[in-house]
Amino acid sequence: MLATAANRIRTSRSGVKSGSVARLFVSAAVALAPALFGAHAQAEDVIRVGAPLPLTGPLAPEAVKQQRGYDLWAEHVNAAGGIDVGGKKMKVEIVYTDYQSNTPRAVQAAEKLITQEKVHFLFSPFGSGAAKAASTVSEKYGVPTIAPTASSSQVYDQGYKYLFGTFTPNDTLTNPLSDIVVEKAPDVKRVAILARNDLFPLAIAQEMEKSAKQRKLEVVSFEKYAINTMDHSAALAQIKSMNPHWIFVTGYINDLILLRKQMADQRIEAPVVTMIAGPAYQEFIDATGAGAENISSAAWWHPAVQYKGSDIFGTTENYVKAFQAKYKAMPDYGEASSSVAGALFQIAIEKAGSIERAKVRDALANLDVMTFWGPVRFGETGQINSLEPPVFQIQSGKTVVVHPPEIKQGEFKLGVK
Amino acid sequence: MFILQILANGIVLGCLYACIAAGFSLVWGVLNVINLMHGSFIVLGSYLAWGAYNSLGLSPWLTLAIAAPLFYAFGYLVQRGLLNRVIAAPVLVTLTLTFGLDLILNNAMILAFKADYRRLILEPALGTLAMGPVVVPVDRIVAMGFALVLTGALYLILRKSRVGRAIIAVRLDRDAATLMGVRVKPTYAAAFGLGAAMAGCAGVLLALIFPISPLSAIPYLGKAFVVCVLGGLGSVPGAVVGGLLLGLVESFGAMAFGPEHAVTLSFALLILFLIFRPQGLLGKRGFE
Repeated sequence: MLATAANRIRTSRSGVKSGSVARLFVSAAVALAPALFGAHAQAEDVIRVGAPLPLTGPLAPEAVKQQRGYDLWAEHVNAAGGIDVGGKKMKVEIVYTDYQSNTPRAVQAAEKLITQEKVHFLFSPFGSGAAKAASTVSEKYGVPTIAPTASSSQVYDQGYKYLFGTFTPNDTLTNPLSDIVVEKAPDVKRVAILARNDLFPLAIAQEMEKSAKQRKLEVVSFEKYAINTMDHSAALAQIKSMNPHWIFVTGYINDLILLRKQMADQRIEAPVVTMIAGPAYQEFIDATGAGAENISSAAWWHPAVQYKGSDIFGTTENYVKAFQAKYKAMPDYGEASSSVAGALFQIAIEKAGSIERAKVRDALANLDVMTFWGPVRFGETGQINSLEPPVFQIQSGKTVVVHPPEIKQGEFKLGVK
Repeated sequence: MFILQILANGIVLGCLYACIAAGFSLVWGVLNVINLMHGSFIVLGSYLAWGAYNSLGLSPWLTLAIAAPLFYAFGYLVQRGLLNRVIAAPVLVTLTLTFGLDLILNNAMILAFKADYRRLILEPALGTLAMGPVVVPVDRIVAMGFALVLTGALYLILRKSRVGRAIIAVRLDRDAATLMGVRVKPTYAAAFGLGAAMAGCAGVLLALIFPISPLSAIPYLGKAFVVCVLGGLGSVPGAVVGGLLLGLVESFGAMAFGPEHAVTLSFALLILFLIFRPQGLLGKRGFE
């Protein structure tokens, strides 16, 4: 709205012929008045979506990713004239609040967005923990909420009706990984797991343990490390002494960069080394250099997948192009998931023909669409169950998709030195 | 064999901790200023090394020679211009001032460098050194040697040089030192400058080891705190002894109780020290 006012000032300024400052102020005030007093009428034409994000603090890099995803979607929608709500075009506005990487504050931020900022819909805060905490608030007020970065099934098993998520459960990452390792490296028998003692990294490590045991692999060590650990040499020395064939490490990007460096420091080699979640980010490859070679990982999406969607971005290729044009970088799964969360709201609103929360909620629950992100159907709990996450590996400094077969770009390679 | 590797890891890690803590210990022990900017100084040093290597091709060893005077001047100016105004006030006032300055410095770094994690990758890599079955990375050995040399040099400066004696004199009795003709303000500034130079140099070396991000400042500061309390304030070798103790406890603790308890264990040790030996291993009474 302020932008509109500023535009009008600019328009009126160009209309002023003489350089009189007083006249300029008068015309500015005249131009501003309808913008200010007409605020209420305008607000009804705009769909407001709340986005509580950890814009400052340790999770800030993740918040920036989500923000880039939302902004790209909103920009595309508004450039196309807005969302079609029962024949009327409505623009979208993302309302951000910073919760400073502090989960209790994320819950307050969500409540503030709903009660004070009067947002129509909500995106969840970052990660499984904060998304679960904030979902209680959106459920209480009946606000349809999409979580773009929460995978743990414990987020969705509370019987809530208004929460939806675009990440499949963690085992959908570890199962295809285990399948491909068993298929390509039948000699791999001993698995060592090292996990950050944190909700998502620990949950996915536990899924890995299950996936390994189901395939008769022996889990020779399962260790956890504390958040903010600055040295992993003791844990790695122990892993080395177990002589594992497959080292599976979880954590966030700073942990994984340090761990990869320390593995080289201790001359730890193995046929297969998997790290989640970090290798999908270009920063990981830049910061580990040659050490990144043959590190495998899995994520919910990769720019190499190819889907023809009916969402605003259409094909995956189009999405990647639009993203590159705006940010001069490749999108990763966090950014793409945030964009698709917006696109799904758009599809649901258009199907419902209304911005009434209950109707949009029902439209989301019954969604069965193809998007640039992949096929989208939400299960009973609200979590997506239609996606097949790709497995990829870093080869010659680039991420290469090795599974599923329809989109693979190369063969799975063994040997991490 | 396994025990030997854990022992080697612990010793090397301990020297890294000493490297992180040395400048902090000097400023706290000698000036009685808890410099909360210390972690950010280290990170800034890491960025300097990263930038110098990636844009100018300058090796970290050369960057050390640049970082030392640069950070000394920076620290000198900060002390002269800001801290000296409140130096005689209770310790909480200087603590609050450095806290505020750290917020500014740290957020300026987030603005300038973003919060992305980077690392300095040397070409060719320094590699590792094998002594029988025990493997130790060369970059850590270099940082370890540096920590020992720096601490030794600092010890000599404080014991033998005029500036050093002046620093000690001011710390012991500010008024008496003034009466003896010591110019207090430049002396304080010199001590703070030395502390900043040590933090900057430590940052240059740590750029080879740890991921670089403004967010690393807090963990560095936390380690420096623990090392100083364990080693003892006012004692330069205390930083080395405290660092070694912490490194060994974390290493063997991780082996015995699992890596997730290593940090808990080091803080439990900290609490025990605070209760039973608040002056630390080598600290002198009156310096706490």
